[in-house]
Amino acid sequence: MKKNIAIIISFIIFFNINAYALIQVDITRGNLNPLPVAVSTLFIDSVSESKVFKELGGLKIGLEISKIIENNLKKTGLFNPLNQDAFIQKPDIAHLKPRFEDWQLIKAQALITGKVEVVENNLRVEFRLWDILAGREILALAFTTVPANYRRVGHIITDKVYQRLTGEEGYFDTRIIYVAEEGPKVQRVKKLAIMDQDGANTKYLTLGNELVLTPRFNPTNQMVTYLSYFRNLPRVYLLDIETGVQEVVGTFPGMTFAPRFSPGGKKIIMSFAKDGNSEIYTMNLETREVEQITNHPSIDTSPSYSPNGKFITFNSDRSGYQQIYVMRSDGSNVKRISFGTGIYGTPVWSPRGDLIAFTKLHKGKFYIGVMRTDGKGERLLTENYYQEAPSWSPNGRVLIFYRETKSGDQGEGFSATLWSIDLTGYNERKVETLTDASDPSWSSLLTK
Amino acid sequence: MTKSIFVSTFFHIIMIILTALSLPFMRRAPLDLPPIVSVELIQISEKTNLPYAPRAKKILEKIKKEQERVVSEQAPPKLVKKEKPDAVPLPKEKSKKKEKIKTEKQNPERIESEVRQVSEFEKKEIFDPNKIAALIDKSKEEAAKEIKRNNKLTQSQDKSIVSSGLTLSEEDALKAQIFGCWSIPLGLPYNEDLLVRIKLELNPDGSIVHTEILDHARMNKPGQSFYKVLAESALRAVKLCQPLRVPATGFERWKNLQLNFDANEMLKG
Amino acid sequence: MNLRVFTKNIFLVVFATLILSACATKTATLKGQMQGDVYTGTDTVEYLAKGVPDRVFFATNESVLTTAARDTLRKQAAWMRKNSELSFTIEGHADERGTREYNLALGERRANAAKDYLMTYGVSQNRLSVISYGKERPVNSGSSPLAWSQNRRAVTVKAN
Repeated sequence: MKKNIAIIISFIIFFNINAYALIQVDITRGNLNPLPVAVSTLFIDSVSESKVFKELGGLKIGLEISKIIENNLKKTGLFNPLNQDAFIQKPDIAHLKPRFEDWQLIKAQALITGKVEVVENNLRVEFRLWDILAGREILALAFTTVPANYRRVGHIITDKVYQRLTGEEGYFDTRIIYVAEEGPKVQRVKKLAIMDQDGANTKYLTLGNELVLTPRFNPTNQMVTYLSYFRNLPRVYLLDIETGVQEVVGTFPGMTFAPRFSPGGKKIIMSFAKDGNSEIYTMNLETREVEQITNHPSIDTSPSYSPNGKFITFNSDRSGYQQIYVMRSDGSNVKRISFGTGIYGTPVWSPRGDLIAFTKLHKGKFYIGVMRTDGKGERLLTENYYQEAPSWSPNGRVLIFYRETKSGDQGEGFSATLWSIDLTGYNERKVETLTDASDPSWSSLLTK
Repeated sequence: MTKSIFVSTFFHIIMIILTALSLPFMRRAPLDLPPIVSVELIQISEKTNLPYAPRAKKILEKIKKEQERVVSEQAPPKLVKKEKPDAVPLPKEKSKKKEKIKTEKQNPERIESEVRQVSEFEKKEIFDPNKIAALIDKSKEEAAKEIKRNNKLTQSQDKSIVSSGLTLSEEDALKAQIFGCWSIPLGLPYNEDLLVRIKLELNPDGSIVHTEILDHARMNKPGQSFYKVLAESALRAVKLCQPLRVPATGFERWKNLQLNFDANEMLKG
Repeated sequence: MNLRVFTKNIFLVVFATLILSACATKTATLKGQMQGDVYTGTDTVEYLAKGVPDRVFFATNESVLTTAARDTLRKQAAWMRKNSELSFTIEGHADERGTREYNLALGERRANAAKDYLMTYGVSQNRLSVISYGKERPVNSGSSPLAWSQNRRAVTVKAN
């Protein structure tokens, strides 16, 4: 019997010899190197170029747009734009069909080429994204706009390329609103300012005659809400960016502050302080109806809606020190979610709905961090002498916030600057502004 | 004379105590030292250079020697090709081998994660009835013991050892090469299934004839756009890494290769 | 050795040592400007009238009135009752070591703490208004615990 079994077994094994097992190799690691990408200058024919030359003040538009794209990609920390001097193929040919070997030689893995033409006084920009290693085009789009808008075209192209290569929505065609500050610490002059996310096109919205703080865009990026000390009465105001018209929000018999828009843009949520107590209120901009949301003798401020509008996260010291709470948008079911050591403030709900960013102060150090909406998974991204007030990019990947430096006894050496950091904690970088800056807030995508 | 020495010493001591207590700068503020976090710097080099536990090393060396002997003894390949593949699972055989592999794992103490990964993989293979031959080969210590134990199975087993599977260091070499070429897109969501499987058909020199993405349907599924990005990054890695670091011999075994790119470990950290 | 000479020498040495240690404790005087966290000095204080300081100070994150604060406010209240035609604004301030919006609320709470106390000492509510500046208007632009303690204040200002 045993002998038979042995023979059967050996036969079976014999038979299986021929089934060469398909070898599987697990690749579980890679590198986190930025993807080498080549951005070629966009080609423009001489006729179009002369048409648009004067209007843009002698700007080489093909080069400018490619520089905007390159700059945007580089700042993400995910891409490594290669030096244009190293390019072998010229733009006038590249936009037709690239010689992939030429680009492989300089180690590019993706290539962006394009063409600009002037069609009836409008700019028509077309671009193509090529996968060099696969040897094929993976994206091609065209945009038409007025020549003065060429910077936005560069940003929109970056958004499309970014999305195609990372799978995530981009955040380049956006603006940032912030408070531009100047002057000595004891008497800072503050103005509302907006700029493109890459620092261009800075515009001031107020004159600096009164203190202005904590501005926010509405979802369509046409209105701004902020705190103003106009006539020495601190109140929440609404400002129309196009017309410049400002109006006070509601008729509250006391200080209102920390204003934000609801996700639909129909309401403003803010804090109202009276008799030493600060509560969170909303006001409907159409019906002017005012609703009280929190009801507690503690300080309740810095509210932030979840993207679906169903929940609000806010800052309260009802447990003794500043902590982060979440409640339903009608004020019910208040739950504390921050439980680490230290005090927590400025909670902001991510546009993706999955995280809440915050400021933390512990043992004299300030941290910017994120936690899940139930309070678990707290991660601190950066530490500094003083930093606060993170604001999310519209794709929920990047946080912008501001820092202040320690100053000498006479206030010398003081500066306030904007910084951004990636959700992973990498790529911390300074955001350049014309003056000192604080209280930044990111707009949504301008094209939607 | 001694009296004055004593008196002098006594008052000197009083003076010292007085100054120590009253001069504030003598008191030192307690140091607030942050806790020491130990960080180990691991050198990442081309080849995994992991020391095997001495016993395992000995067994592996023995296996290598046996393999060499076995190659020269095996019957010519033609005979092998005539056989038809048959799949009949033998529960007794399976369980015996499973036990053996489990015990082997306990003994080598210092086999690091790379090696362990391979054994994990082997464990999965056990339950696949078609791959009995493969499983014997992958567990070399096991094979070494088997060879000794059962003479009747010797010849067929020898063939299997030679004919299927990359050996440990070859697999590591290929992995290390691809690790270096794969730029993982950082924008991938953390909480999704980040596995993409690529089937490759290779030339003897390691260059690629054909690639195929398994789960191709997932590429265009809504909400899974990251899968396309992940798959494309895997394809780029493979193309960038040509010619692949394939073994010098045994083209038949590895001309069809499947690479399982899994970004979970890197992104979940 | 003579006992008298001996004793004299001992005294000299002890005396010299104690003088030395006394000199070294000069820095403690500056620290005396703070009690715990609360500023107790007079460097930044202005006066509404002779003997009536215009401000009170607070501990970090607190809006509780200290004994010294209540003493100051009683003096203010007494003077206010004598000058019943005047109205006042109480400004609440916070130091720079906190988040901006919470500091606005904290300043308001501090100002109201002072206002409530003045009211219990007979100053009518319609003579007192409150404004918070959070951390926006420090009086000391330094970044030291002393500067911060001077900035945590509620200041009474004549309104008309």
